[in-house]
Amino acid sequence: MKLAAKTTSRFLRHFWRGLREWCGDAAYESYLRSNRRLTGSCRTLTPAEFYVEQLNRRYSRPNRCC
Amino acid sequence: MKRVFVIVVWLGVALLGAGAFGKIAFDRGEPLNATWFVVAAVCCYLVAYRLYSAFVAAKVLALDDTRATPCERHDDGRDFVPTNKWVLFGHHFAAIAGPGPLVGPTLAAQFGYLPGTLWLIAGAAFAGCVHDFVILFCSIRRDGKSLGQMAREEVSERGGFIAQLAVLAIMTILLAVVGLVVVNALKSSPWATFTLAMTIPIALLLGLYLRFVRPGRVLEASIMGVALVLFVVVAGQWVADSPTWSHVFTLSGVALAFAIIAYGFAASALPVWLLLAPRDYLSAFIKAGAIFSLALGILFVRPQVLMPPLTRFIDGTGPVFAGKIFPFCFITIACGAISGFHSLISSGTTPKMILRESHARFIGYGAMLLESFVGVMAMVAACAMPPGVYFAINSPPSIVGGAGEAAASTISGWGYPLQVQTMTDLAHKVGEITLWNRAGGAPSLAVGMAQIFSGTIGGERLMSIWYHFALMFEALFILTVLDAGTRVGRFMVQDLGGRVWKPFGRTGWMPGILLSSATIVALWGYFLYQGVVDPLGGINSLWPLFGISNQLLAAVALVVATTILMKMGRLRWIWVTLLPMAWLVTITMTASYQKIFDANPRIGFLAYANALAAQIAAGKIPAGKIAETQRLIFNQRLDAAVTGVLAAMILVLIVEALAQWYSILSRRKEPVLHESPYIATRWAADYSGAAHGDD
Repeated sequence: MKLAAKTTSRFLRHFWRGLREWCGDAAYESYLRSNRRLTGSCRTLTPAEFYVEQLNRRYSRPNRCC
Repeated sequence: MKRVFVIVVWLGVALLGAGAFGKIAFDRGEPLNATWFVVAAVCCYLVAYRLYSAFVAAKVLALDDTRATPCERHDDGRDFVPTNKWVLFGHHFAAIAGPGPLVGPTLAAQFGYLPGTLWLIAGAAFAGCVHDFVILFCSIRRDGKSLGQMAREEVSERGGFIAQLAVLAIMTILLAVVGLVVVNALKSSPWATFTLAMTIPIALLLGLYLRFVRPGRVLEASIMGVALVLFVVVAGQWVADSPTWSHVFTLSGVALAFAIIAYGFAASALPVWLLLAPRDYLSAFIKAGAIFSLALGILFVRPQVLMPPLTRFIDGTGPVFAGKIFPFCFITIACGAISGFHSLISSGTTPKMILRESHARFIGYGAMLLESFVGVMAMVAACAMPPGVYFAINSPPSIVGGAGEAAASTISGWGYPLQVQTMTDLAHKVGEITLWNRAGGAPSLAVGMAQIFSGTIGGERLMSIWYHFALMFEALFILTVLDAGTRVGRFMVQDLGGRVWKPFGRTGWMPGILLSSATIVALWGYFLYQGVVDPLGGINSLWPLFGISNQLLAAVALVVATTILMKMGRLRWIWVTLLPMAWLVTITMTASYQKIFDANPRIGFLAYANALAAQIAAGKIPAGKIAETQRLIFNQRLDAAVTGVLAAMILVLIVEALAQWYSILSRRKEPVLHESPYIATRWAADYSGAAHGDD
């Protein structure tokens, strides 16, 4: 029983993270993580700046198919 | 012992799939249960994935997990982001799955369920999935370069230019045809028009929330947005019941076409965060939910497939679109079996986010299998309704003699019995004024989906809600393709224009934005308008044109892939891409030839133009209609010219590639492969992406 609860909770946690990554909810966190790794990079963008910048890049190339 | 067990299991899966396929192909008795389609498709996909994709991965591409992928080499947290393979599968599938796999099979159901189902399953396994997988691999090995860049480097400068032109051409035709599907879905339907119109203020609201209130919190905004969209689906009934409001939202085809053109312009010119992106979020969630629900609904309801395996229209006289089963079945079902547009996604975002080369098999090959399954579900939904009803919804009035008694008598005369009362009752059940002559695929698919959904929850009482939910789902994500495509088209126009006049190429310069948006919207808007006023029903002209351009782009991608395999020294295995390419070239060239030169005015553009010109010359056209008829003649000749140019482009590319292949095979030239140099990965074998890796 305990094992089942643990497995379920682990699955739900992974599912939630996956969902946030899939829909772009976690994009800023990924950016911050990567920015921390890249020493000497440009100024860190605010969430609002990052959001707009990311959308402008994403929608300048084919990203939705027929 | 374990090995024997595995072999027995896979043998069982293969035999089950073969049995289900046999049942679909040879059963001629009682109507088939849809479960057979699901079993046949799933077993074939499993076997294809387990065996064929493994063979392509190991022998043809020799995927190498010790090699660093672009996201490891260039990790910047923006474009190049290491992403868990399941998440990336979701991203990739959401990007490739559009309205094509739903509408194409619905239209191709006029040949019966068998040809389309066979093409969906076999085409995906041997052509579509290989196409997506190989292009994804090629792009990974080139730091995520686009198809155009790869064509330029690996085939020739001219090859790259042709690929870029092909992309612009397919984009223009695609946007027009999906616009036409929406127009035909919303025409004379105040409920559906209101629902879709309301998604615009909802998207604006979400856009402002995501920009100023909680920047980037996509999940919570999407949940609010989906709740609002579901509310307006229900509220649409009140609008349809109100004499005043139903009048406001009852629009003609031409009015809807202009509304969609204005929307496309606004979405392209306005900041992306305000309208386009929030609509895309809404669409992604509703798309995922609706497709998942449809799969569950089919398994739960297990509807009977009432359409025969083959109809009399395999001879080319079909009312939905004219043309014989070969090549038109393979042109009509593009997405779902093989789609050239996927090569833009496989050489766009996905290769920049993939963690390991081996994931390309799951993401490239696997996501396409899932899209093919969406196509099979659409086929089941379309074929689960009585054939008479299917033809009544999808045939233009000029073919069936309008609506009511005349149309019912024509359709019954074809051998598909239909009562006028059946159509009246069905329209009443789904809350529509009429369902006659609603060509385009979307309404008939919505009827099919509503029958399946109402069989699961709510029964006939909720059928009108389910119908409008299905229609909203189709229209919403068609408009997402339309607005995102218009914006990308705008960048292409700016890129081309910038070569002539520099300021025009600046993406932040407002006059340039407005002019380029107007140019791309005018391009597809012209074809859309032409489709709306076409007396034969625009789908008859535009859908085959779209299919041809999409399959041509797939052929371009396979030419590039074959050249790369040849340069890699995998000569023994080039049939893997060469055979699908040869098949695509054969069907697109045959279809192009027939669409231009066939003597039947319903098939050949020139024959139709000549027939209209002869009617004017014989004085059979009233004076007031002469200008309109001349415009129709011009449109038909324009369509013929566009088809000819598309066919010429692929021929030029093939000649370029043949020259390249000859010089490689005859060793006259040392093959130069433009791969990024090998760098060994530093990631541990179990590393699974940024967020997940933190566990």
